[in-house]
Amino acid sequence: MSAAAQDRVEPVDTDYDRMPANTVVPEYPEKARQERVEGEVQVCFDITREGFPQRVKVRHSTHRYFEKPARDAVRRSTWRPIPHGQNVPGIKACRTFRFTLIPVPPDERD
Amino acid sequence: MKIKVLTIGTLALATLLLLVWSSAGAQGVGGTLDSQKTVIGPRNPFLADGADALVNGDAERGIELTEKGLAYAKGSFEQKAALSNLCAGYLMVNKPEKALNACNRVLEEDPEFWRAYNNRALVYLELGRFAESEADVKRGQELRPKSKNLKLTRAKLLDATDPVVPSVEIDERRSAGEDFESDTKL
Repeated sequence: MSAAAQDRVEPVDTDYDRMPANTVVPEYPEKARQERVEGEVQVCFDITREGFPQRVKVRHSTHRYFEKPARDAVRRSTWRPIPHGQNVPGIKACRTFRFTLIPVPPDERD
Repeated sequence: MKIKVLTIGTLALATLLLLVWSSAGAQGVGGTLDSQKTVIGPRNPFLADGADALVNGDAERGIELTEKGLAYAKGSFEQKAALSNLCAGYLMVNKPEKALNACNRVLEEDPEFWRAYNNRALVYLELGRFAESEADVKRGQELRPKSKNLKLTRAKLLDATDPVVPSVEIDERRSAGEDFESDTKL
């Protein structure tokens, strides 16, 4: 799951966005899986010059099950540091996590 | 005499529920079941020991003792406890037909006994009788809406009938928006 989700991470390389160095993908909460709950969480945060997140806050959430995994994933992620002497226009960022459950087709079941 | 209803949360069949006639409780000198009479020693030691064996994972021994306990059972409660524990025990040793028979007998005795619905739902699941399993989970949840065991049983049923693969997608393309102002200076 994590590897598949990792493949979908699309770092945005613009003049304004910080490049991710290590993106941590949260585990799908087991309770949510058992109850077949899907959802989306947007987490906003600052990124320090050194590439660490701070002021990590949930900005939008469809279900509380996903908030802690999303927050924790951001806290454990890192971004490329800003070279000494380089200015950046903004350091705030948001990351949206979509937790979905993909049905297994009948012919692929064990 | 003290009757305990325990949930086996850590055994392999985590959602199976036993109605335990606890030997530890039964050997006390005070009781609160039906009256305040003082009881010394368990009235039906087979049931007590059988429940202990089942809780400890010795299903064969637990079944053997509980069957003996059932033969000596007096009153509806003892019979219900014995049958309920047999239902769980037979499922533990992968004898779902026998488990089903025991669960059915419990529910004939007490149609509102939610633990038996939970156990029978697991038995039906083992037998591949998914519609009946779902009906028992539903009935159990009507009787006990907040039961964690019934939620787990429902999850097992869904995993059998509608398996899913969890996926987490990350999107970084959204801007922070106007309502999120950074106060950090680089």
